[in-house]
Amino acid sequence: MFYRLSGVHHTRYETARQIWPVPTDRRVVYILLALALAAPLYLPDLYLSSYVLPWLVWSAAALSLTLLMGIAGQLHFGFAAVMAIGAYSSIHLARAGVPFELALIGAGVITAVIGTLFGAAALRVKGLYLVMATLAMQYLVDWVIINVPAISGGAQATLNTPEVSFLFMPLSGTGLYYGALLWAVIVTVFVLNIKRTSFGRALVAIRDKDYAAAVIGVNPFKYKLLAFFTASFLGGISGAVLAFCYYQAVTPEQFGFNVSIQLVAMVLVGGLGSVIGAYLGAGFVLLAPMFLTNAVAYLAVWGVLPLSSSLLAHIPLMVYGLLIVGFILFEPLGLAKIYDNIRKYFLVWPFRHTQS
Amino acid sequence: MRNAIKGLIGAAGVAAIGVSGAAKSDDTFTIGLLQDFTAVYTFVTDEYHHGQMDYIELVNQEGGVEGHTIETIVRDTGNEPQRGIEAYSRARDQGAVLVDFLSTPVSRAMVNRVLDDEIVMITALHGRGDASHGTTFPYVFPMMATYWSQAMVLADYIDREQGGLEGKRIAHVYIDSPFGREPVPVLEELAERKGFEFETFAYPSPGTEQSATWSDVRRFQPDHVLIWGAGGGQPVSVREAIRAGLDPADILSVVWMAETDANTIGVDHATGVKRFEAVATGTDYPIIERIQEEVIDQGLGAGSEDEVGTTYYNIGVATMAVAVEGARLALEEFGGPLTGEKLRDGLRMIEEFDAEGMMPPITITEEDHQGGGFGRVSQWNGEAWEPITDWFAAHQDIVWEEIEKDAAEFREDN
Repeated sequence: MFYRLSGVHHTRYETARQIWPVPTDRRVVYILLALALAAPLYLPDLYLSSYVLPWLVWSAAALSLTLLMGIAGQLHFGFAAVMAIGAYSSIHLARAGVPFELALIGAGVITAVIGTLFGAAALRVKGLYLVMATLAMQYLVDWVIINVPAISGGAQATLNTPEVSFLFMPLSGTGLYYGALLWAVIVTVFVLNIKRTSFGRALVAIRDKDYAAAVIGVNPFKYKLLAFFTASFLGGISGAVLAFCYYQAVTPEQFGFNVSIQLVAMVLVGGLGSVIGAYLGAGFVLLAPMFLTNAVAYLAVWGVLPLSSSLLAHIPLMVYGLLIVGFILFEPLGLAKIYDNIRKYFLVWPFRHTQS
Repeated sequence: MRNAIKGLIGAAGVAAIGVSGAAKSDDTFTIGLLQDFTAVYTFVTDEYHHGQMDYIELVNQEGGVEGHTIETIVRDTGNEPQRGIEAYSRARDQGAVLVDFLSTPVSRAMVNRVLDDEIVMITALHGRGDASHGTTFPYVFPMMATYWSQAMVLADYIDREQGGLEGKRIAHVYIDSPFGREPVPVLEELAERKGFEFETFAYPSPGTEQSATWSDVRRFQPDHVLIWGAGGGQPVSVREAIRAGLDPADILSVVWMAETDANTIGVDHATGVKRFEAVATGTDYPIIERIQEEVIDQGLGAGSEDEVGTTYYNIGVATMAVAVEGARLALEEFGGPLTGEKLRDGLRMIEEFDAEGMMPPITITEEDHQGGGFGRVSQWNGEAWEPITDWFAAHQDIVWEEIEKDAAEFREDN
């Protein structure tokens, strides 16, 4: 009823192979896009600039990581370092007078090259050992940023993003939001489509078993490096967008090890390799602590929780932890799978059984 | 799906703002204490925040600031800039005129925002040192000695009380972060002027393991060592220094060294260790006595009674005492309601304010938001931190060279 399938006949291959063959899905996406485009009109600035904007950028970053971890199966626990390289490169390039559009691409390329260098470890090691190798990247990049004042921005280790314009539009005010939205849309469309290309299928083959992939003619050497290259490129630009559209002042702590873990959590809680999962995961990991903190604070103001500030501050952590454990127990495949279950239920509603 | 949720959030948000906005009246003002209760700064936040809340309660009990009651917005940021930004934006929308993050990463990320929004941000003992440059950072108030000033006070103490600096070997052992590195340029400059040998030794964050660093320090054979860390790394540094054969009296610490650290090291073991002190410790001060009487004894305290009078508690009290003094001057001069701009001007009118003897007399001007860079040296005597010098400031010319230089860089960037 909600997802009406009767009467939808695909008479050409193109329509059957669309990203969203069911018309309702397509309409939902259009509505969401329209809502996102109109968000500055109906959302107060607090929610636009402190919730939705970072959510979009982090979703783009989680999508970049899910491309590497979910689609290509290469674990990466240093993705914050990848974003840091992108953020710092873009700022230094923009400061050197490079137009912002080129600075973004330049930052992506620099990040991709460095990310691929470290990704080369994936040619020899897999699984937990690859985690160690990427962790090393995190610590090396952190160390270099902190110890080279020319990169970190002098004694105060703070780099302000210069005033820039993107395609002749100054990047400020609601422009920041649209910049982030544009990047999130680009990455989303990219990742949605990559699964339908030979490149994407090669990555999936590598993920499932790399020597089996080699036997059927997929070159693991090439595709593992390409996976790191692509994901680092996207991650680098996400870092740059995060710096320019959101933080506007970059410090090394913004890309620390804990941020890498948060990114991995976004991908895992959302659902490995899923696009909607990246959005849901980023939303959960990024926004749940904020909502919980505010909820508990309001309860305290209303006198429901007569506790000291420091104890109050820990309640959201406990709830947050419980939620993560709960979600994993309830649906190990992540939030994306929960969404999928709901969608499948309505696909045949009011009947009970789904076919797929 | 996601934007449907977003719409709901927005609707809820509009409602929430409507409710809170309507409650605002002329005889109150709001400050945001948006601090790190759960991550990196936990070693100080509890006591510090407790001191702030108790002092605010005291002021409110005594009739407020010129008849204005102080309201607080308290949020945990977990030391994460994105949560800091959210908490700050919310506090700003609810009319906060002053914010305190007590977190260097969050404060640094917030500088441009408070300058744009004209909201006072106090960065006592954290944040950017060059924010002392009042004309460049009109809304940022370090209000206590920056790390540069602290290093100069400690070095000057060695110079005057521990046999001079000339020809000495001074080691700077620090946590490998911008904070640990911060005093290096001023100390290098002083080494050149005074003719002592200066060497730096970094240990990796979080500093629970420092033995490799200290074997290098031992090879250097320093006469004095400055330890520049915070939290769990500090007792480790002291223990390692003593193991390296240093007399505890030759170990001088940055401001982050408190009773808990001495207990961790072992109260007897730590005897003799020195530290920089920005605010007096203990309960023998009129403000603390009044807090005890009018807040704690009435059951209005914000935390455990044991914390009253500890190092970080008193620092918290002092930050709010300075802020309230600024608000008082502002309200006296300009009348209510208090705004960020009025508060800024009020803070800049503070002259020789010492919180009834609890802190060095500070004077904040339009140019100098540091308040003079005063402090003193205190020593652990086995039971408490006992002051061994008067309040003084040292080599402010070197400090201000550094402030000018970094502030000029900041101006260039913006």
